[in-house]
Amino acid sequence: MSLNRYKISANLNWWIIGTLVFSIIFYRILFFSNDSHFFFIINDLIVITLIAITILVIIKKIRQTNPHPSALVLNSGIIVSFIFLIILFSEPILEVLSQNSTTINVNPDLFQNIILSFYSLMFLVITSYWFATLKELYFYKRYSAKNTYFYLMVVFLILTSVASLLFRGEKYDFINHTFEIVTAILIVFNSLKISWIAFISKKEKISLLILSIIISTLFIINLANSSQNDFNGKILANFSPAFYTFYTLVLLYGGIYFAVLFFTTLFHIPTAEAYDRKAKEVSSLQYFSKLITQVLDFDELAETITDIATKVSSADSAWIVIKNSKSQKTIANKNIAYVDAEIINNYLLQSGVCENITETKLCSLDKFGEKSRLSEKYGSVAISPLKSMNETKGYLIAARKNDFIFYDEDKTAINTFADYASVAIENSLLLEQSIEKERLEKEFDVARDIQRKILPLKEPESKNYSITSVFIPAFEVGGDYYDYFEIGNNKLGFIIADVSGKGISAAFIMAEVKGIFSSLSRMIETPKDILIKANEILLQTLNKKSFVSALYGIIDTEKEELSFVRAGHCPALLVRDNKLETFKPSGIGLGLTNNSAFTNHLEEIKINLKEMDTLVFYTDGITEAKNKEMEDFGEDRFNNILVNNTSKSVSQIANEVIKEVTLFSSDHHQYDDITLIILKWHKKNNIDGV
Amino acid sequence: MADFNTSIKDQGAVSIINLKGYLDAHTAPILENNFVDLIDKNRFNIVVDFKELAYISSAGLGVFMAYIEKIRESKGDIKLSGMTEKVFNIFDLLGFPLLYEIFKSEDEAVKKFIE
Repeated sequence: MSLNRYKISANLNWWIIGTLVFSIIFYRILFFSNDSHFFFIINDLIVITLIAITILVIIKKIRQTNPHPSALVLNSGIIVSFIFLIILFSEPILEVLSQNSTTINVNPDLFQNIILSFYSLMFLVITSYWFATLKELYFYKRYSAKNTYFYLMVVFLILTSVASLLFRGEKYDFINHTFEIVTAILIVFNSLKISWIAFISKKEKISLLILSIIISTLFIINLANSSQNDFNGKILANFSPAFYTFYTLVLLYGGIYFAVLFFTTLFHIPTAEAYDRKAKEVSSLQYFSKLITQVLDFDELAETITDIATKVSSADSAWIVIKNSKSQKTIANKNIAYVDAEIINNYLLQSGVCENITETKLCSLDKFGEKSRLSEKYGSVAISPLKSMNETKGYLIAARKNDFIFYDEDKTAINTFADYASVAIENSLLLEQSIEKERLEKEFDVARDIQRKILPLKEPESKNYSITSVFIPAFEVGGDYYDYFEIGNNKLGFIIADVSGKGISAAFIMAEVKGIFSSLSRMIETPKDILIKANEILLQTLNKKSFVSALYGIIDTEKEELSFVRAGHCPALLVRDNKLETFKPSGIGLGLTNNSAFTNHLEEIKINLKEMDTLVFYTDGITEAKNKEMEDFGEDRFNNILVNNTSKSVSQIANEVIKEVTLFSSDHHQYDDITLIILKWHKKNNIDGV
Repeated sequence: MADFNTSIKDQGAVSIINLKGYLDAHTAPILENNFVDLIDKNRFNIVVDFKELAYISSAGLGVFMAYIEKIRESKGDIKLSGMTEKVFNIFDLLGFPLLYEIFKSEDEAVKKFIE
């Protein structure tokens, strides 16, 4: 809707301009009279309207493209030089066209009239363009609302033009001159304070300095060549006195404005660099805030870093190298092939060119022997360390192609940016770590929960033995498992096992092991056969890296006998008559080897139980408990405690062991689960006798 | 946690991996990568030397099981050498001496391959 309306109004403008152009030409052809005052009044009314509408249309066009002021200046410069040439050659060309120049003012013929009208209209359009440009330059980046002087100047421009039309003749010259002088003063006034100069870069200022002096000079020359006595001036004054005055005033405005622009630029040059630096710092701050918001996703952050790095240093390509303990990895390549980046990395980092750098270093690839292997001609690189906690975690590398090399300003920019990038990367990694840590903690919580539900709730009770168990889980869940199985009326099966690995994977294997043993213990009579079957099952289900160490035993209260097998597990201990005996029958861990080897090496032991025999089963969490010096608690300490406390009850002995282990490893984190089962045999007859 | 690193050297047809530090669930992937690299290069005669190894956990032991089958199928072997008493006890408890040849020194293990 709004688009349509715009089209209509744009077309309307062209219609008006077209109508006015035709009417002025026809009017001049039909009613031409050099002496009639009235003719010129009508003539100039049309011309002034045409000027006003042309200026409005041009301003609208300029606003649409929203050009940089230096572009506007350059355009005016091109047009002013064009006019300079036109004025220079107009006389001979128009003379040829009109055959006789002397008759121009007196009585132009039809053809000549049209030629001269178009010539003047061209000047009209160009003058309008200049004025529109000067107006846009005046308002560019001007935030103060005090535009009174500009509009006052416009009013006086119109008044001066109209006055020159109304007051013709020498006796009125003073009126015209007064208007001209007032307008000139206003022009000077409006040409001061060119605010947009401050916003352009040093390079642009230098080119502007040269342009403005040339343009100013050309405006002045054109003005000088357009006096009423000159050929060109004569034509324009004859076309329309009001336009001629406007034209000379715009030339004056142009001459003054660009002269002032020249001096303003000249005074700004010394501070240009400071402004450039400020501008860069401000944009760096913007970039920094952009980095902060992206720490949640490391890959995205890396991409943004290389993207910004190319911008702040005007580099062609950038990438990041992340150092690991041994290797290095290229990530977030921006405008460079992975292979090229790797070749440059190797040159910079492995040839020792950039080892131990603490800030950005500029390197030339001129002496790089393998330069020809690169698919593009890289000439200069800037390498910056990405530091985190005084350690170089990686590098940010920017490269330029061909003969463009990095300068010290670029180095400063990259260096500053690399510092920001380091902070962002560090934050991102720390965040990732803490998320990972939280995830692990959750996982361990789940694993401990599973483990707690798998372990037996209470100890078996019997007249012939007392039994106790202690289980202390490690934070990470070590995979210890023990269980009891009542078999018939006079047999107790029990298992103590340690699953390899930790955490949730260990917890799942434990659950599987529990399932296997609770069913096998009911189906199979002897410990050896149970473990052989268990190995067969676990070989199929466990992955190659996992295994289970286990000790499975059966206490037969009828026969007063313990029979057990050991598959890679800690030995069974027996304290009898204050002496400790270690039973370590041969046996390979479950899930490690095929069934024939397993069976061949599995040895079952039978022990006839005597009154007050104390049997101890445990996991390596006890013997491998560590103190501050990383010493093991060890078997000797463990055995001594058992022997020294043999007369006590099972729970007292267990307490004693746990107390000592805890004391020993009080300064050290508990790595592995601790499981301890102690059983004391009470002779069958004794109990029966009571 | 504690540090662990490995170094590999080739001695004729035999590759020797020297272990140093603490081999546990966190550091086991380093050794795993060593085995994968050697298998990729078709080097199946491997001696793992434990002289400088301070500790090995169950996850560390698992690494040896993961690749032994493949290596033996390719007519190679992993032989172990130079264990301290403590490390040997851990291997011994699990029955590893029944599965692997364990030598006092690296040289003996290498010699065994050459025979």
